[in-house]
Amino acid sequence: MTRNRSPLRYLPAHSVDVASGPLVLFAAVSGMLCFVLWRMARGEATPFDAAGFIPQVMSVVLTVSVLVASGGGAGGDVANGFYRAWFSKPIAPWWFYLQRWLLGGLAVLCIPLLLGLGLKLVFGGAWGVTNELMAVIALGYLLVGGTVLLASGFTARDWLVTFLLSFAQARINDVMGIMEMTKQDPPAALEWAHRLLPPFHLISPIKGLPEGNDLVHVVAYGAGLVAVALILFVVKPLGSGGRA
Amino acid sequence: MIRFEGVSKSYTALVSRKRVDALADFTLEMARGEVVGIAGPNGAGKSTMISLLMGFLAPTAGQISIDGIAPRRWVERNGVGYLTELVNLPPRWKVPTTMRRMATLSGVPSSRVAAEADGMMARLGLEEHAAKRIKQLSKGNLQRVGLGQALIGDFELIVLDEPTHGLDPLWTQRFREVVAELRRPNRLVLIASHNLDELEMLADRVAILDHGRLQRVVTHATEERSEQHAWRLVLEGEVDVAAAISGASPVAGRAGTWRVVASRRELSASLARLLADGAVLVECVPEQGRLESAFREAVQR
Repeated sequence: MTRNRSPLRYLPAHSVDVASGPLVLFAAVSGMLCFVLWRMARGEATPFDAAGFIPQVMSVVLTVSVLVASGGGAGGDVANGFYRAWFSKPIAPWWFYLQRWLLGGLAVLCIPLLLGLGLKLVFGGAWGVTNELMAVIALGYLLVGGTVLLASGFTARDWLVTFLLSFAQARINDVMGIMEMTKQDPPAALEWAHRLLPPFHLISPIKGLPEGNDLVHVVAYGAGLVAVALILFVVKPLGSGGRA
Repeated sequence: MIRFEGVSKSYTALVSRKRVDALADFTLEMARGEVVGIAGPNGAGKSTMISLLMGFLAPTAGQISIDGIAPRRWVERNGVGYLTELVNLPPRWKVPTTMRRMATLSGVPSSRVAAEADGMMARLGLEEHAAKRIKQLSKGNLQRVGLGQALIGDFELIVLDEPTHGLDPLWTQRFREVVAELRRPNRLVLIASHNLDELEMLADRVAILDHGRLQRVVTHATEERSEQHAWRLVLEGEVDVAAAISGASPVAGRAGTWRVVASRRELSASLARLLADGAVLVECVPEQGRLESAFREAVQR
């Protein structure tokens, strides 16, 4: 039999999974939000500020939506035993999961677009989605989603690991901020933890793109996480036992 | 095609650090054109051996190669028709979706995916379950879906782990026909099973594993050479079976029924004499399957 060796042959199936899963959820939530705003704003004379509103919404939902879009990948397939069926076929795990991960990123990027479209339909006026906002969301996916991808090489609870790391970094960042304000030197362990954990605190759709070293830090850290995750899928056998 | 050279695989418990040797110093070669059986009691190491072959586990010691390259690389390049012992597929998928997706992953050209998937469903009698989701299938039907997804890519290497587990007698028979159809000069079929009758019928060679070690490889040739087997013999007619066959003893309460311990050659010669003396042969069956005898001998149970 002449085999279809296209590396993209399973992409349509992945796309269906993402479209019927996270994307439907994101569209439903965006639609509901627009509907609620429309009901609340009926009769108001002032035009709706979509450009200010969308970054605020994204700063609240970004981490959760990335966890929804990228969670339960390799770790879930290993825990459920699906990997034995997938990877008996001529496809490499790293490529399979990279495709799924990238599509998850596209789904997250659709959230501001869906919101912008909905708000424009409801209120008219400005579109409210800027290139900078999209870039921040892409960076957020690279960092948060990259952490999920790496964690999925070890556990099915990749989303939980990422959430806990993100929570820990946010709290450490809060403490560091307070200590800076009160002109106290933070403990060395705290400073190290702040440096070693993924720089989730540098991602903010409200503040916009990080600049200078912060931008380099986020990009390098995110790309590093994704690269290490993919290498892990190449070198680490997926199974843990004869039947597991 | 496949070479295991002194392969061992140990698992170490995380807390107690207790070590279990799932496979120990396992050496076996298998070639294209063969149907090879893997038999062994529970926990003998059959599934570990298959996981190592698929590249899902790395050996603790030794080398495994398929066509001279590491298993994982070979599988990613060529694919394997693999039926897992426990069929795990997404529970919400419908049967046709499962077949089509596995056909796509297998590299079936997109123009033929639907036809191949439908053809496999028809071959395995799954058309009537087309509207069902994986989670709605009975054990036997799920096993057939598992078999279908394994066979859908026309691969050179087919690995079937407990393939008739959960199948009814009708589909067990049908499965044997399917495996017979799979036999090709350029293909290796590997079947791990508890069902010794099945392996005896389907396999050219059967490797018997116990406690992670290869105890014996039984081939048709070695079976031929095996010296003694127990047979149940039922004869009619006025003949003295005890005098004609030295290892014969009458079965109590069953007239004309004898238990005979003899090699196939001896039994044939003795039977020929008895038939020439006017005996009528009603039945001559091995008391145990030949493979079963070898199995019991190998695992000493």
